[in-house]
Amino acid sequence: MATRHDRKVSILDVMGPVMVGPSSSHTAGTARLGRVAREILDEDPIAVRFVLHPPLAATYRGHGSDFALVGGAIGLNVDDPRIPEAIRIAEQMGVTIEFAEEDLGEVHPNSVRIEIQGPNRETEIVGSSIGGGVIEVFRINGFQTRFKGDSPVLLLFYRDRPGMISEVTQVIAEEGINIASLYCSRKQRGKDAFMEIDVDSPISDEALHRICSVGDVAEARYLDKIP
Amino acid sequence: MIESFKALEQLAAGRDLPDVFLETDAQEHGVPADDILEALRRRRAVMRDCVERGKSGGTSMGKLVGNEAKLLAAAFAEGRTFLDPLTVKAELYALSVMGENSRMGVIVAAPTAGAGGIVPGMLLALEEERHIDPERTVRALVVAGGIGSIIALSANISGAAGGCQNEVGVASSMGAGAVAYMMGGGVHEVINAAAIALKNTLGLVCDPVGGLVEVPCVKRNALFAVHGLTAAQLALAGVDSVIPMDEIVEAMVRIGRSLPRGLKETAEGGLATTDTGAAIARRLKDEANQRRAERAAERERLAQERKAHST
Repeated sequence: MATRHDRKVSILDVMGPVMVGPSSSHTAGTARLGRVAREILDEDPIAVRFVLHPPLAATYRGHGSDFALVGGAIGLNVDDPRIPEAIRIAEQMGVTIEFAEEDLGEVHPNSVRIEIQGPNRETEIVGSSIGGGVIEVFRINGFQTRFKGDSPVLLLFYRDRPGMISEVTQVIAEEGINIASLYCSRKQRGKDAFMEIDVDSPISDEALHRICSVGDVAEARYLDKIP
Repeated sequence: MIESFKALEQLAAGRDLPDVFLETDAQEHGVPADDILEALRRRRAVMRDCVERGKSGGTSMGKLVGNEAKLLAAAFAEGRTFLDPLTVKAELYALSVMGENSRMGVIVAAPTAGAGGIVPGMLLALEEERHIDPERTVRALVVAGGIGSIIALSANISGAAGGCQNEVGVASSMGAGAVAYMMGGGVHEVINAAAIALKNTLGLVCDPVGGLVEVPCVKRNALFAVHGLTAAQLALAGVDSVIPMDEIVEAMVRIGRSLPRGLKETAEGGLATTDTGAAIARRLKDEANQRRAERAAERERLAQERKAHST
């Protein structure tokens, strides 16, 4: 029996996305991975380094993955006709771009680590483009995650302590927002920890502010569905 | 969730198939049926645009393809084609979409970009030739997407995961089911059309020359659009697939796993490593290196300019 994936693919995911060619896995998926990095950074980048897993490094250029990754990282959507010009646009914006190759281990062939830096902060994600424009992000800033960009999500970086989940979910419940799934990971007991909360409806700036002010929360990011 | 094609056949008995898919998808993903239909209306329009733009041709990014649609369109217009108009148009529209795709034009991944010509090729040609209401085409896109979403429960839809069978095979299967629906077939005919199409693409490898979605992808889309039409024809005549669709999907996944890495989109085997394929790959690499050097020189020039400006 074939392995079943943990999440279902919708009709619109299969019959889509509308995108700039030529490859849904190498162009649309990689653009979405770049976009995830940009959205977590939450400011215009000044430098981005793309570390490609060897199979992707062997194939990325001919599929325009370089344009797509950069396009996503500067905030372009997968159907933006400016994607073929993305590297030139990024350079005009003064963004330093670097491509490198490294074995990322037992991962999907089309995997990349994106190290993105802005004027005020930096972030790092590792993810795969698994086909048809569908992505999986499985590391954020060194924390394990399992993020697909297909629903609104709240990402929290905090200090591990008892009661954290209940305090955060309390705020979300008070905002009338339904939680679809919740995932936590930490580097060490009582140290840096990370929480990913998939929600059914958008989180307002006010609610996000309330979540940020929960004790020991270092940073909170709300990401809308990645187009 | 519709777990299998077997479950689908039971669930959809006596109902209009798109309604079953729309209902399930709305429950599963929280998107109302009307929104899904509206999105698919827009996607049909993108497909239609693509077919129009693609007919005029142009060179692909890798300069290997791009004018196939233009040549076939000319032959068709001048009465130099010998196949029936439906078949020619299915080929033509698939080529048009793939030409646009190869030029980094805006297309609909159906289910992927590399196999994105097949579903529009089949459906738009049929719509035109049989004067089918475009709204029925939109509902057929629901059927195509629904078939793909059941396959995707077991299989990664990418050449990197399982070879071309996972892309072109799946697209042809989705399109065959959708065509069976458009021509009045019920759930049984739809599933059998999808099964016959998919079964006969098993083992298809992904060996793109130079790693580009150009050779053999562009022409392959045209051929497998026709393949899907013939599968639908058989199913509508009452021909059943001996191996049930669910088992065909399982076989596809197993075959995909056992395919060597060199035949799964890496451009390290098959057509990609023929004498001609390898020579093209070398040329592409040289050109890419040259472009990179030019870009580096341009960056250097801009930096010098900025420096001169600030002093």
